[in-house]
Amino acid sequence: MKKSALWSFMLLLVMALFLAACNNDSSSTEKESEKKPSGDTTATTDTAAKGGVVTFGTDTAPEGVYDPAYSGSIVDSYIQGFTMEGIYDVNDDLEYVPNLASWEISEDKLTYTFTFQKGVKWHNGEELTGDDWVFALETLADPDYDGPRYNYAEGIKGAKAKKEGKADKIEGIEVVDPYTVKITFEQVKINNLENLWSNPMPKKHYEGIAVKDLAESKQVRENPVGLGPFKVKKVVDGEYSELERFDDYWKGKPQLDGVIVKVIDPSLAAGAFQNGEIDIMAIKPQSVKELTALDNVRIEETNGVSYSYIGLRFGHRDKATLKNVADVDKFKSKELRQALLYAINRPAMIDAFLEGKAAVANTVIPTTFWTAAPESDLNQYEFNTEKAKELLASAGYVDKDGDGFVEDPNGQPFKISFGHYAGSAAFEGRSQAIIQSWNDIGVKTEQATGSLIEFNLYNDMKDNDDAALEAFFGAWSTGADPDPSGLWGNDAEWNYGRWVDAKNQELLNKGLSEEAFDKDTRMKTYVEWQKHFNEELPALPLWENMDLYGINNRLQGVHINAVGFQTDVYKWNVQE
Amino acid sequence: MLQYTLRRLLGMIPLLLLISLVVFFLAKMMPGDAFAGEIDPSNTNPQYIEEMREKLGYNDPIIQQYGRWIVSFVQGDFGKSTVYKKPAAEIIVQRIPNTIFLAFTSLVITYIFAFIMGMYAGRKPYTLGDNLIGTYNYLALAIPSFVAGIVAIYFFSFKLGWFPFNGSVGVGLEPGTLDYFVSKLHHVLLPALILGLMGTASYTQFLRNDIIENSRKDFVRTARAKGTKESKIYNKHILRNSIIPLITFLGFDIATLISGAVITETIFTYPGIGALFLESVGRRDYAVMMSITMLLSLLTLFGNLVADLLYGVVDPRIRLD
Repeated sequence: MKKSALWSFMLLLVMALFLAACNNDSSSTEKESEKKPSGDTTATTDTAAKGGVVTFGTDTAPEGVYDPAYSGSIVDSYIQGFTMEGIYDVNDDLEYVPNLASWEISEDKLTYTFTFQKGVKWHNGEELTGDDWVFALETLADPDYDGPRYNYAEGIKGAKAKKEGKADKIEGIEVVDPYTVKITFEQVKINNLENLWSNPMPKKHYEGIAVKDLAESKQVRENPVGLGPFKVKKVVDGEYSELERFDDYWKGKPQLDGVIVKVIDPSLAAGAFQNGEIDIMAIKPQSVKELTALDNVRIEETNGVSYSYIGLRFGHRDKATLKNVADVDKFKSKELRQALLYAINRPAMIDAFLEGKAAVANTVIPTTFWTAAPESDLNQYEFNTEKAKELLASAGYVDKDGDGFVEDPNGQPFKISFGHYAGSAAFEGRSQAIIQSWNDIGVKTEQATGSLIEFNLYNDMKDNDDAALEAFFGAWSTGADPDPSGLWGNDAEWNYGRWVDAKNQELLNKGLSEEAFDKDTRMKTYVEWQKHFNEELPALPLWENMDLYGINNRLQGVHINAVGFQTDVYKWNVQE
Repeated sequence: MLQYTLRRLLGMIPLLLLISLVVFFLAKMMPGDAFAGEIDPSNTNPQYIEEMREKLGYNDPIIQQYGRWIVSFVQGDFGKSTVYKKPAAEIIVQRIPNTIFLAFTSLVITYIFAFIMGMYAGRKPYTLGDNLIGTYNYLALAIPSFVAGIVAIYFFSFKLGWFPFNGSVGVGLEPGTLDYFVSKLHHVLLPALILGLMGTASYTQFLRNDIIENSRKDFVRTARAKGTKESKIYNKHILRNSIIPLITFLGFDIATLISGAVITETIFTYPGIGALFLESVGRRDYAVMMSITMLLSLLTLFGNLVADLLYGVVDPRIRLD
């Protein structure tokens, strides 16, 4: 009796499971079949299919901060790419072009007059005015502001005074009329605009909230209001964000019904693409092979703004004075540095570890930038071990004791400790390949700490100028501003090799000076800087990475460029 | 027994303090903090990072940081997540229902399968069936859950399309509707099956051994001599005795209910406590990490207490004082 009761309970449970499974399956197929006929009917009228929802996959969960002034995570910025808009845009050549506002520069190059588009609507129906943008700038400079973006208001005259509590308003901002705002900067700089905050804040929506409470307010976290083609509809924490079409978008009604930003584990990306769970996702070179095998997915690639390099240590950073001090002589010989680059077969490494999805770089300004030097101006450092050995010998690095490895010019043993961080599977091979290349030309190289270094620890070591990292692998993503002084300036915090060089700083300064307002002059200055870098090799440029996106064939109208995949998302459409 | 319970509860306090001290120090000794490794040269300026570190007290001596943390923790302030910029308690509370749902479903699956297998194996020990069950159990114990998870996703989600492979609910469903509940159940099944089927070993083998032991006892021989049906002997006399010790396992399951499955949740992108915990460790979100650790420690200690008390209840020979 008891036994049969147990069995029937079991049976019931098992059936419940299957019923549940069937239930959902049938409902989802129903949805698909509903979608299809509508696609067919529009196809007959020869226009792109309207409507449809696409899914954008990401590997980390959004943090759910929807105002760019407060968010720091890349996934949040993807969501903002759908829901927010700035006064300027960055085009394919990484030039800054007017979007919500256009601007004129005064004679003395200190004052910019911004004229806003009329009739641009916020998601809550209010019209965008210059006030909304001024409100954002004032918030950034507020002493209570606790987001990370103050540096985007810092350049305006009087912003510092407000930040320090000495003024109520930023002196350099003048609202002429609702659609005209004048901004006066502290100094004449070519990249004042690039360093000016571009996202207006919905002033009415944020009304009555103190600046210090804004970051946690419902208006920012739960029901954000933006200007972009999609608005946030529903957020399920750690799982997905559902965005729906904003009909009154100022550039025209978006073609899709909505976008879903969904978190998936990267190891499952290929499978998720295959069965149509995701339509678009940024992918790593390692996934290329798997995805090319699928017929419903295409891979789009573009030259990105990121590059990899090998840093060489020239000194340390004095944390008290915030200056870099060159006091390590190991890599002082230019011939040695050049030999180290000649020794590395970069095309082979790109094929082996990046599936060919990168281009050899000989400078640290990616080719997408309009300031990039033509390759003909740069030494190509093609793989040549003989040349490397010659250079070593000419600089006095010769093998005196016959152990197969060179000694330094003073006859002392010479050894490089090379560090690389842990991460994807390809890193081990990449790191060993570099070590092997240097050993092959007779420069004794060992892996710092004996193995790949955990990423956080690695960053700590770089920050603290750890002696073990004599040479180290690094990568940067530069953003759209062509000015490299944040990474390579003499006293830049992120100049991890601590390279200090008078000509370097002089050229970098020149690139930002008043004469650089002439585009040709600026271009020439940066080309000269790149030639200097290419000759001196304070760090060994390896390759610039390509940005890769997997896109389901049903999703059309995606325009990718170096800044991302979210240019004109309102043109995205679905074709079944 | 009341006195014993009170004594145990009081004893937890120093234990919890000790745990918190160790975990806090270990966490702080991990290289990096919430701001390291996320440097975006065009967007973040070093001054801001330095300012925030100062503001959050990351530059103070570690003992001072611990003191500050423990004082506010005891007062019920669990701190603010540096990642989500919300109170840690709020984030954890949000995730708990998902985790309990997953853990509960997987426990039910474990119980059912362990019960069936244990009964069979105990009744027919040293047969082919028993050996197969034993082999399966130890294999399941040995296979890491992330391997099982990925294999299951490959077959059941990608190849067969029976189950969704990520998330806890379908997109766009409103809470409270039937569809919502069905979708939740559908999403939880695959991870729950992985967790449930891989965790049957201890229950099965415990039940099996107990049944074998009981079947050799005098009262069983007496029952056989009386001519009681074999099925009745096993299903009634033996099972009733053998199941009692299993009850004590309940205590240990309390902590499992909340801790969920760190790895399984992460693979299935199932937003529960486990996934949150892993993320908070990876991103050095100290407030969330410490709060979850303390919650789990408390539940483990509490679970142990419950287990001990249950021992006393089911077996009067054990005196608790």
